Amino acid sequence: MKLQRVSAIAAREWREIVRDRLFFALAFIVPALLMLLFGYGLSLDVENIPFTVVDYDRSALSRDYSWQFIGSRYFKFQGYSDSESEAGRKLTSGQVRMTLVIPERFGHDLEAPGRAAVQTVIDGTFPSRAMTTRGYVEAINADFSRERLARLPVLSGMKGVVLQSRYLYNQNVSSIRSLAPKLIMVVLMLSPPFLTALGIVREKENGSIFNIYSSDISRGEFLLGKLAPYVAISTFNILTLWCFACLLYQVPFKGDFAFFLLASWIYVLCTTGIGLLVSVLVSTQVAAMIVTLVVTMIPSILYSGLIIPIASLGSGARVVAHIVPAMYYADIVVGCFLKGIGPGALWRQLLVLTAYALILFSLGYALFSKRPRT
Amino acid sequence: MMSGEWVRIWRRFAAMLVKEFKQLGRDRVLLAFILYAFTLDVFLAASGVSLSLSSAVTWVQDFDHSAASRELVGRFQAPYFKVARDFDADRDGQAALDSGTAMILLSLPQGFGRDLAQGRGAELAMQVDTTNSVLGFLAVSHGEQIAARFGIESELARRGASARDEAALPGVDNAMRVWFNPNQNDSWFMGISEMLNIATVFSVLLPAAALVREKERGTVEQLMVSPLSPFGILFPKVVAMTCVIVAGIAVTLFLVLIPLFSIPVKGSLLLFFAASMLYVFTTAGLGLFAATVSQNLAQAGMLSILILSPMLFLSGAWTPAEAMPDWLRWLMYASPLHYYLDIAFGILLKGQGAADLALPLTEMGGIGVLVLALGLSLFRRQFA
Repeated sequence: MKLQRVSAIAAREWREIVRDRLFFALAFIVPALLMLLFGYGLSLDVENIPFTVVDYDRSALSRDYSWQFIGSRYFKFQGYSDSESEAGRKLTSGQVRMTLVIPERFGHDLEAPGRAAVQTVIDGTFPSRAMTTRGYVEAINADFSRERLARLPVLSGMKGVVLQSRYLYNQNVSSIRSLAPKLIMVVLMLSPPFLTALGIVREKENGSIFNIYSSDISRGEFLLGKLAPYVAISTFNILTLWCFACLLYQVPFKGDFAFFLLASWIYVLCTTGIGLLVSVLVSTQVAAMIVTLVVTMIPSILYSGLIIPIASLGSGARVVAHIVPAMYYADIVVGCFLKGIGPGALWRQLLVLTAYALILFSLGYALFSKRPRT
Repeated sequence: MMSGEWVRIWRRFAAMLVKEFKQLGRDRVLLAFILYAFTLDVFLAASGVSLSLSSAVTWVQDFDHSAASRELVGRFQAPYFKVARDFDADRDGQAALDSGTAMILLSLPQGFGRDLAQGRGAELAMQVDTTNSVLGFLAVSHGEQIAARFGIESELARRGASARDEAALPGVDNAMRVWFNPNQNDSWFMGISEMLNIATVFSVLLPAAALVREKERGTVEQLMVSPLSPFGILFPKVVAMTCVIVAGIAVTLFLVLIPLFSIPVKGSLLLFFAASMLYVFTTAGLGLFAATVSQNLAQAGMLSILILSPMLFLSGAWTPAEAMPDWLRWLMYASPLHYYLDIAFGILLKGQGAADLALPLTEMGGIGVLVLALGLSLFRRQFA
């Protein structure tokens, strides 16, 4: 292997990328824009859930109870409904996602003093949202019941048991803090393989790769030179994304920057390797685009712990999660940003990523042949 | 004479359609992948995910070792919590949280049971990993309820209240019902939304690629000098890809979602497929738009990710529109998937009919017409 040839290939590839102005611009713009859009849009906080109340009781107490919901920032009041069937229609049409029905004797039963029944109906179309809504409803009911209890003479002066909760890693429990580091993982999973796969398959499809086949450049020299510019672009993008997370989303960076950079770089090698492998297997750019998109985008979002914790995955999906490098890198970024832990706790993940990169590159190397069969 | 003109147009259209199908059929890798995406990939997503807070791994540090402390810990149970083990040193707990082995640390101080027995009130500490903010919030909320309930019960017992008093405690009993997916079956949501995602990916990429490929190879010049109008070139491409994608949706629905996950089809299948066709058409317009702007496939590919990723993940399936900033919400209203999502879930799970869905259907169609017209005029300007 000669360094001179590698650099010649790399220089040629670089020139081709730079001359295609739109492509060159997109190579930097796409990751930045995705980070921006996802960062503002992919908020997991469930707030302002639209809801309606059917109040058959119309007592002071029932109004007081409804106000627990109306005044909460988690719910957004969409007006009273006259009957359950009207509320049901609103739920079906998607106007509201929760309906609260307060029966006639609500106030009376509570004053007795005793148990009063209410009914809530939740739109279950999107289970994660339904689950969160359910949690909020339960919490509000529990608070309200506790307040009524405290007025009871039997329990006057009661101290009770208090749960002191402490939120770790994300004190204000804002989802952007937990999301932003993982978004780096997603964006670095999306753009490098795409760049790489398209870059290599382009030569295959328009035939310019025959120049390589017929030259005395070795496979290794070609692949290294070809990939180098893409790795360079992605390395620059690591820094951009890091700046976005720290400056725009104000996520505190608590870990070791050098370690973060090294791990990210190895991760970029992995994702570039995925692009390489795809490009060796397919022969058209259409196929390259689609295969890359399906193997990278969907697992990096669904099976990486971004939205769904790994612990909640079923066995099949968990296998996928362990095969894709995203999960290991997610541990590293979250560790570096939020938990402030370093190589001591994360060396295993780094090792997996390194092995992953090595395997991908050797596979790509082994499968790339200068003597294509057709 | 009009009829002769129409026959000619139809023949050209049919010839172009056949060409598109042949071209697609020859890319074996691509075909195999389309099949994989519409079957196995959806199966994996539908079978693999459970979204609820279930068995949050909890470690317990009990310095009290009293009957009361043990009972309270015993109440942190399934489905929300899973008490995994006891630990003594703070350091171990911290390490478990750092590595993600545990999500929750419960710590009961010495004298917990004694304080409670003397009516002085007691405290326990809960440390929660809120890396996932929603789950963290839910865990704390459930924990608070457990603790409060335990406090009230033990206080009542201390003051000698009988079981009858306890039943008469004022409070709200909530009967909770969940509509449209009563068992909170996550596979319904995951399966359907993954099917829509895959359909979206192909609707943007396939037509875009089919057009840019012609540009890159220069065969589009041949088409332009033929008697075909720009519309006559673009339209068969969109129709061919629409057929393939709608067939894919049918495969997913009839071979994966209905037989394996018993997704109820409450509404009309005819309406669903008609809406899907309209959707694929609309989305294909977006792809063609990207294709007219770009000169080669590499550019088209990057532009497609830029269009696709926000479409897929900001559609409203994962993140409700209410939680987004205004400018993004408007962007979301421009995405056809936002409407298709409501339509598909509405027909399949809620049993909504055409009348209920008239608004989203017209909005989606409107976007489609707008985008296709824009793409067509750009394409014309480029070559005419």
